[in-house]
Amino acid sequence: MTAAIAVNNLRKIYEGGLEALKGIDLSIPEGSFYGLLGPNGAGKTTTIGIITGLVHLTAGTASVMGYDTISEFRKSRRLIGLSPQELNFDVFFTIGELLTLQAGYYGLSHSKAKERTTLMLEQFGLTEKRKSRARELSGGMKRRVQIAKALVHDPPILILDEPTAGVDIELRHMLWDYLRTINKEGKTILLTTHYIEEAEQLCKTVSIIDDGKIIATDSPKKLTQAHGMSGLEITLSSSSDNLDLDSWNYKKFDGKIHVDTIQPEKDMAEVISHVVKQGGEIENVCIYRSSLEDVFMKLTGKSLQDESDSIETQKDLLSV
Amino acid sequence: MFSRGFLVIVKREIKRFLFLYKQTLFPSVISSALYIIVFGAAIGSRIGEIKGVEYIHFIVPGLVMMAVINPAYQNSSSSIMQAKFLRFIEDILITPLSGLEISLSYIIGGAVRGVLNGILVLLLAYFITGLHIENWFLTLVYLSAVAWAFAGAGVIVGIYAKSWDSIMVLTNFFLMPLTFLGGVFYSIEMLPDFWRNISMINPLYWMINGLRFATLGIADTSHALSLGISMLFAIFFSTLASYMFSKGYRIKT
Repeated sequence: MTAAIAVNNLRKIYEGGLEALKGIDLSIPEGSFYGLLGPNGAGKTTTIGIITGLVHLTAGTASVMGYDTISEFRKSRRLIGLSPQELNFDVFFTIGELLTLQAGYYGLSHSKAKERTTLMLEQFGLTEKRKSRARELSGGMKRRVQIAKALVHDPPILILDEPTAGVDIELRHMLWDYLRTINKEGKTILLTTHYIEEAEQLCKTVSIIDDGKIIATDSPKKLTQAHGMSGLEITLSSSSDNLDLDSWNYKKFDGKIHVDTIQPEKDMAEVISHVVKQGGEIENVCIYRSSLEDVFMKLTGKSLQDESDSIETQKDLLSV
Repeated sequence: MFSRGFLVIVKREIKRFLFLYKQTLFPSVISSALYIIVFGAAIGSRIGEIKGVEYIHFIVPGLVMMAVINPAYQNSSSSIMQAKFLRFIEDILITPLSGLEISLSYIIGGAVRGVLNGILVLLLAYFITGLHIENWFLTLVYLSAVAWAFAGAGVIVGIYAKSWDSIMVLTNFFLMPLTFLGGVFYSIEMLPDFWRNISMINPLYWMINGLRFATLGIADTSHALSLGISMLFAIFFSTLASYMFSKGYRIKT
């Protein structure tokens, strides 16, 4: 099956010598929700720029549904809708006109462009603002216009560069729901983000990119299983000195026992039984699990937290 | 060769300058009216005729060229510069349109504004001075060729420019002096040999000379050469502009 987006050994060296991409490979299947996770300067936007024709590649190839992005640019670009990170709008036109123009640039007839504009305005709750100019809108509304503009020509592939940067939680969740819906309807979505939760919530597959290289690719769950840690945290009301869970990898501290296991839910009963048999009095049991953030830190030695206005806590502690 | 999207950008460019008509259409009409009144009516009566044509009519082709060249250049250069500066040029660069289509659409937008300005000044001249056009078809050919050439130059500068200053540099230091020294207000036959020869290497002189032939039926030098030079500049600038857009020079990283 042809990948929706495929890049092979992609390299980019900017004027001045900055090597933004150091030979990356990506294969994004049709219909997938794919995340490109990395800190600022990792190479996410450069990768998107090359796929969409905004950035010249230095070496390697990029294709969209099998069409080379350089030699068959007309076909490849028609299949993509891009929502850039920065909110930049043509200042001379109203929101309605902007959407109709954008659809027209992609070759839609005037009547079809008008029809798609009306639909996009409705879907993004912008109908009442169709005669407003972008400068008159709030940041959240501008973001909605930006995504509507990317979808107005009804492309099968949507590329979103940090789509929820700086938007409030309500809009973020609204956008997430919308993106899940259109993904279920068949659109392939490539999302770049440095919000861990966004990648975990939305993406079926995530590639972690750092310093111009892809360092891991898998589903968020498998990435945390393969590179993270999970287990049980048992709080005791009795002393833990005489307890011995020899068949488990465990540590004792502050009256608690940490038992490492990749399947904490499944092993919970057996571990509790072991503790109780040895006279341990259990006060509480928690499951702890590494987040994608922990995986990212382990793989890159960097944190995303500093640059992201973190959405919510990354700990997945389930109290039982 | 040209897609529907190409026509949409052309439409966008025309709508843009019509939206800004107070900046894009009125100024050239007002300044031309002042030139005609001050130079033509007030001073012209003392100068008399040049090549058998009243002075007030003699200056009209030059004023028309001034109204064509600067707006055509300004339209494409400022439109591209603005799109670059505010980064909404990416809306166009990500579409399936080729560099040739994008550059030509900007050139056509600028050329339409230039021709429209030229026609407005000709109409003004008709109402103020009763100017009679010798050859409307040839007049429109000159207006189109010159507007096209300078809209092309505007695209080149718009792509190349890193700031608004760069755009104004060409206007203030090249276009304006070359226009005034291109025989707007005088015939080069009135100049000493040295300055006459200098004028002959000014391409704007040839363009004004050609339009003067088309509108008034008089010319200092060959009208065919004037037409050839105008066409050559139009082809050269639009080819270079299209090449720069296709290569993404200073637009793509």
